[in-house]
Amino acid sequence: MNEILGIAIAAIISWLNFVLIDTWMGLPEAPGVKGADVIGRSVQERGGDLAGGFFQGNIVCSPDASAGTLLAAIGCYAIGIPEGGLIAAVLVYFGNRLCADPGYAGTTGALSITIIIFLTSFIGFKPEYYIVGMVLAIITIQGIYHPGASRLLGKIAQKMGRHTKLT
Amino acid sequence: MIIHANVFSYLIALAAALILGLALRLPLLPDKPMRQSWTISAVFPTAILAVGFYAIIYELGYQGYIVALVTGIITALFAKLVLEKVVPAPGKDEKEERSHE
Repeated sequence: MNEILGIAIAAIISWLNFVLIDTWMGLPEAPGVKGADVIGRSVQERGGDLAGGFFQGNIVCSPDASAGTLLAAIGCYAIGIPEGGLIAAVLVYFGNRLCADPGYAGTTGALSITIIIFLTSFIGFKPEYYIVGMVLAIITIQGIYHPGASRLLGKIAQKMGRHTKLT
Repeated sequence: MIIHANVFSYLIALAAALILGLALRLPLLPDKPMRQSWTISAVFPTAILAVGFYAIIYELGYQGYIVALVTGIITALFAKLVLEKVVPAPGKDEKEERSHE
């Protein structure tokens, strides 16, 4: 498979994997720790959406599905499929618990991307495509324009019934 | 890449952790709403930890059904007896600190 095309598709898959799992697990609903609250309200002050801001704050403050996706891809690249992804899930779980997070989003993200990497390996996708793809996916959320990204995340949260009730 | 042919070992580790976890009176699933629950249950995280721990041991060079079974048993005991002390829920930490004050 063409490397550039593979990375682009892997980025889209990684983006959907972590955004949908994190939203489903309720990251936009409330800040897990004080830092996430500060980030969410700061994003809101700059014209963003509060639920999207909480989402962005939560993924900064603890390893959620975004970190799970990235670490599982790195694990599969460095160790193998599926061992690397399963080891990453354990490490993400302990990382989550240390960051005042029960660990569902991170672990689910790591396991789901391990399954995706395994299945797509049959059509020529390599784990390294997912490493680069996930870095690109996280840049779209955290690295370009926070208020715009938070509004998109807020809309997704609204559609999935996970928008925050806080004001 | 081809998946390793040790799927049965993973299933044994998972089943051993799940069954022993239930025998040790861990709940099958966390309390609802699950995404906010800190309860340690047989499915999450015990079964997932068992599979992950077996992957670590497998990569260290120890393989086989017996190793998987032992991993599952040790993981269930770890989840029941040790996990809550190593990585406690945040509320419990604060309560303990207050009680020390």
